[in-house]
Amino acid sequence: MTLRLEPRFAAKARSGLFWFVVVLILLFMTIPAVVVIATSFSPSELVTFPPAGLSLKWYVRAVTYPDFQNAFINGLIVTSFASTLALITGSAVACLIERYAFPGRTVLEAVLSSPLIVPHFTTGLGFLMLGVALGINQGYAIVIVTHVLLVLPFVTRSVYVSLRNLDPHLERAAANLGASPGRVLTRITVPLLLPGMAGGWLVAAVLSLTEFTASLYVTDAGTQTLPVAMYTYIREYSDPTIAAISAILILATTLVMFIADQIFGLGRILSIDAH
Amino acid sequence: MSAAGTGAPRRRPFFLPFLLVSLIAAGLFLAALGDVLHYSVRLFIPGSIEVGGFTLANFARLLRPIYRTVLLATLIISFLTAIFTLLLGYPVAYALVRVRRGWVRSLLIVLAITPLFTGEIVRTYAWILVLGTNGFINSILKALGIIGAPLSMLYTSFGVILALVQFSMPVMIMLLATAISHVDRSCERAAANLGASPLMVFWRVTLPLTTPGIVSGAVVIFAWTMSAFSTPQLIGGGKVLMLSNLVYLEGLTNLDFPLAAALSLLALVVAIGSLGLMRPAIARLERKATLY
Amino acid sequence: MRTDNEAAPHPPPAADPAANAVELVGVSKNFGAVTAVHAVTLAIRRGEVLTLLGPSGCGKTTLLNIVAGFEEPTRGRILIDGRDVTLTPPHLRDTGMVFQNYALFPHMNVFENVAFGLGMRRMPKARIATEVGRALEMVKLEGLGERRVRQLSGGQQQRVALARAIVIQPKVLLLDEPLSALDKNLRGQMQIELKELHDRTGLTTVFVTHDQGEALSLSDRIVVLNRGEIQQIAAPIELYRHPANGFVASFIGDINHLPPAECQRCGSDILFRLAPTIELAMPARADLALRDGRKAHIFVRPEHLRIADGAGEGRNRVLCQVVTHVYQGTHTLTRVEAVGLGLLQLRIPGGEIIERAPPGSRIVVTIDLDEATVLAEA
Repeated sequence: MTLRLEPRFAAKARSGLFWFVVVLILLFMTIPAVVVIATSFSPSELVTFPPAGLSLKWYVRAVTYPDFQNAFINGLIVTSFASTLALITGSAVACLIERYAFPGRTVLEAVLSSPLIVPHFTTGLGFLMLGVALGINQGYAIVIVTHVLLVLPFVTRSVYVSLRNLDPHLERAAANLGASPGRVLTRITVPLLLPGMAGGWLVAAVLSLTEFTASLYVTDAGTQTLPVAMYTYIREYSDPTIAAISAILILATTLVMFIADQIFGLGRILSIDAH
Repeated sequence: MSAAGTGAPRRRPFFLPFLLVSLIAAGLFLAALGDVLHYSVRLFIPGSIEVGGFTLANFARLLRPIYRTVLLATLIISFLTAIFTLLLGYPVAYALVRVRRGWVRSLLIVLAITPLFTGEIVRTYAWILVLGTNGFINSILKALGIIGAPLSMLYTSFGVILALVQFSMPVMIMLLATAISHVDRSCERAAANLGASPLMVFWRVTLPLTTPGIVSGAVVIFAWTMSAFSTPQLIGGGKVLMLSNLVYLEGLTNLDFPLAAALSLLALVVAIGSLGLMRPAIARLERKATLY
Repeated sequence: MRTDNEAAPHPPPAADPAANAVELVGVSKNFGAVTAVHAVTLAIRRGEVLTLLGPSGCGKTTLLNIVAGFEEPTRGRILIDGRDVTLTPPHLRDTGMVFQNYALFPHMNVFENVAFGLGMRRMPKARIATEVGRALEMVKLEGLGERRVRQLSGGQQQRVALARAIVIQPKVLLLDEPLSALDKNLRGQMQIELKELHDRTGLTTVFVTHDQGEALSLSDRIVVLNRGEIQQIAAPIELYRHPANGFVASFIGDINHLPPAECQRCGSDILFRLAPTIELAMPARADLALRDGRKAHIFVRPEHLRIADGAGEGRNRVLCQVVTHVYQGTHTLTRVEAVGLGLLQLRIPGGEIIERAPPGSRIVVTIDLDEATVLAEA
C-alpha cells in the first residue's frame, strides 16, 4: 500500500511546493500595492509602517490639490486623443502588414514597432526637439503625438492578432454576395475586429494615462500629466498624498482589468490562452 | 500572410489611405529620432538652448570614465534584472497557463498583469514605502527582532534591481505564458508515457520547447530595463546612476541637449545592439523548437 | 494479428488473471456533471488487438487515457498484468501510446525520439543504439535516425511514433486514432503494416477509432461504446451479423431500420405486420424469444434487399418507387420508398440499375429476413 501511495504523495508534495513558490512570487508582486493602500490611510505626515491609525485626509488632499486636478484633466485630454488616434493608426498598420504585399513593408513594420525598443527617454528627448523645431513644444499636440507613437505597437498587435484569426472567406463571401469594398469593411471586417480593437484601445488608454518618462520631456507646467505631477510632488514633499492617489489608481486599474478580463478575456488579448 | 512573397503587390481597396496614415506615423517617429541624431553632432553653448556648429565633441565626451562606469552599471543592472525576472516569472507563467480552475486563472492573470498598467511612478513610489528606513521590510524585521538598526535598501543597487524585477514581471510572464501555451500537451503526455517523471518531462520537453519565449523574454526585459528612468531616479536617489538619469540630468537640468542626445544615441545603440546580438541565437532556437 | 486459419482465433477466457494484460473493473469517469465513462468492466486478453469503437464523445479516448494514467477514474480499478495501477502515475505504468497527432518531440531527431523511453529506463547507451536501430528497422525507417521530425512525411511520423512506443516493450500498446491524420490511400497501407507489426511483436494492443471499417479489419475483438457505456463486445463478424442492440446495428455498416412491427407465430415462421398491407415473414429462430403481439424492431442490411425478377413468386415482396441512385463503382446504393415502410436502401452490384430503373419508376423488392436482426421492443 505504501509503495503504491508513494508517487501520489510525491505528486501532491511537488504540486504543493510549486504553488507555495507561485504564491510567494505573487506576494512579491502585490505587496508594494498593499503597502501603498495601507499607507494611504495613515493619519500622520511621516510615512511609517504600520500606520498609527485611520484617516482619509490624504485622499482629501489628493483630490483637492490643484496640480493633480489639472494634471488629471490634462491626462484625460491627452489619453482620449492619443488612444483614439493610435487605434485608427494601429488598425491601418495592422491591415497593411497583414493584408498587403508592398516593397518596404518589413521596414515600415520595423520602424513602427521600434518604440518598444527605443528607450522612452530617447523618444521623449527626440519629440521634445522635434516640438522645438516645429514650434509646437508647448501645448497638447506634441504630447499627444508622442503618446500615439509609444502605444501604437500595442494597438497594432492587438488588431493584428484579431485580423489573423479572421477568416478571409467571410470577406470574400460578402463581396461575392454583392457588397462593395466599403460595405465589406464596415459591415464585416470592422464588426468582427471590434473586440480586438476595443482591447487595443483600452490597453493604449491605460498605457497613455500612466506613461511617465517620455511625458517628462514633452510636457510643460501647463500640459503635465498625472504621473509627471506625482513625480514632481514626490521630489518636493514626503507625505502620504501620493499614497492616496496611488491607491486610487491601483484600485481603478485592478477593477478595469477584472472587467476587461470578463468582457474580452485578457488571456485572449494577450494571446496566452492554451491551445 | 498569403500575400507575402507573391512578388507583385496585391490590388486591394484602402491600400493608399492605410499606407498614408502609417507613413505619417513612421515619419514622425523617424523625425524625432533624426532630431536626436542631429543634436548629437551640434556644439553645446553653455547657458543657452541654442546650439552651435557641427562637431563630434559630444561623442568624445562620452569616453570620460564617469560615462563608462554608468554604462557598465546600466548593463549589469539590466542583465541581473533580466535573469531574476526570468527565474521568478517562469513559475507564475506556468501556473497561469496550466491552472484548470477558471477563477484561479482569472485571479492569476489580473494579479500578474495589472502591475503593468499601474504606471511606473505608482510602483516606484510603492517600493520607496517598502524599502524605506521606516518602511515595510524594516518594520517587519524590527518587529520580529531580526535586526536592531534599519537596513538601508533605498539608494542601493539591490533596491533598484528589486523594484525593476517587479516592474518587469508582467511583460516577462506574458511572453513566457505565450510560449508555454504553445507547448503541445500531448508531447508532455508522450514523455510521461515513455517513463519520464514529472520533473523529467519538464526538464526534457517543456523547458526546451519554451526556449524561444525564455530568450525573447530575457532580451526584451534587458532592453526595457536599459530605458528605465523613474526607478533608478527615485530609488537610486542619485547614488545608483543609469544612462537614463544622465540623459535627464544633461538634457532637462543642464539643458545640454547635444550631450543628452549623444547619451540617448548610446543607449539606443546598446539596446538595439544587444537585440541584434541575440537575434541569430533566437532564430536558431526558434527553428529548433517550433512545431513541425 | 491472428488469422482465421490459425488454431485458436480468439484466446479462450482463462481463469488465470495473468492471462489478461489489462483489466478494467467498474470504471467510471465524470467531468463535472458530465459522465464520460460509466461502469465499464473489460478484460483485455494478452496478445489480442482490442478496438474501442464509437462516435466522438462516446468515452473511448477517455478510457484509453485512464489506462495510460492521464485521467484518474472517478470510480473503479485498473489492473495491468494483474497489478492494480489505479493510482500509479503514467510514467510508472509501462504502456506505450501512439497519439492522434503523434506528439513527436519537435526538438529531437528521429533517433532521440525513439531512444527517449529507453533513456528514461537508464539503459546503457550502446544497447539503446541497437534497440532503436531494431525498432526503426521494424517500421521501415532504417537510416533516418538523424532526420528532424519536421522533415518527415505524415506516414513517416506515424512510424516514428510507433517505433517510439514499441521500443520500450510496453505491457500494452495504446493507439489513439493513429490513422486519422493520414490520407485515405496511406491509411489502407498503414492498416496492413499495423497488422504485420502486431504479428511480429505480439503486443497486446488497444486501438481507439471512430472508423468502423478500420475496426472491422484490424481487431480480434471490438468494444462498441456509446455515451460512455459498453454496447457490445464481440469479434468483428459476430458484431456485423448479430448486433446486440439498435445502436450497434446502425453504427456498424449501413442498415435499414424498419418501422416497429407486431409479430405473430405461424407454423415454422414468424410473421411481422408492418402496415395494414405489408406483412413480412422469417423462419423462427431459437435466439428469438418473441411472444405473439409483441412489438419488434427489424434491421436489414442493404445487401439483403433485392430487386425481384419479373413476375416470379416469392415471399416478402414489396412494391417500391425508386428515389435516387448513388453509384459507388463496385455497386450502386439505391434508395426506394414503399408505402408503410418509408425509405429503404438497397446495395445492388454494378451500375445497370441506374439505366433500368430511373428515379420515379416502380420496382418490386424482396426483403430477405434470414440474416436480419430482430429486437423485441423494450
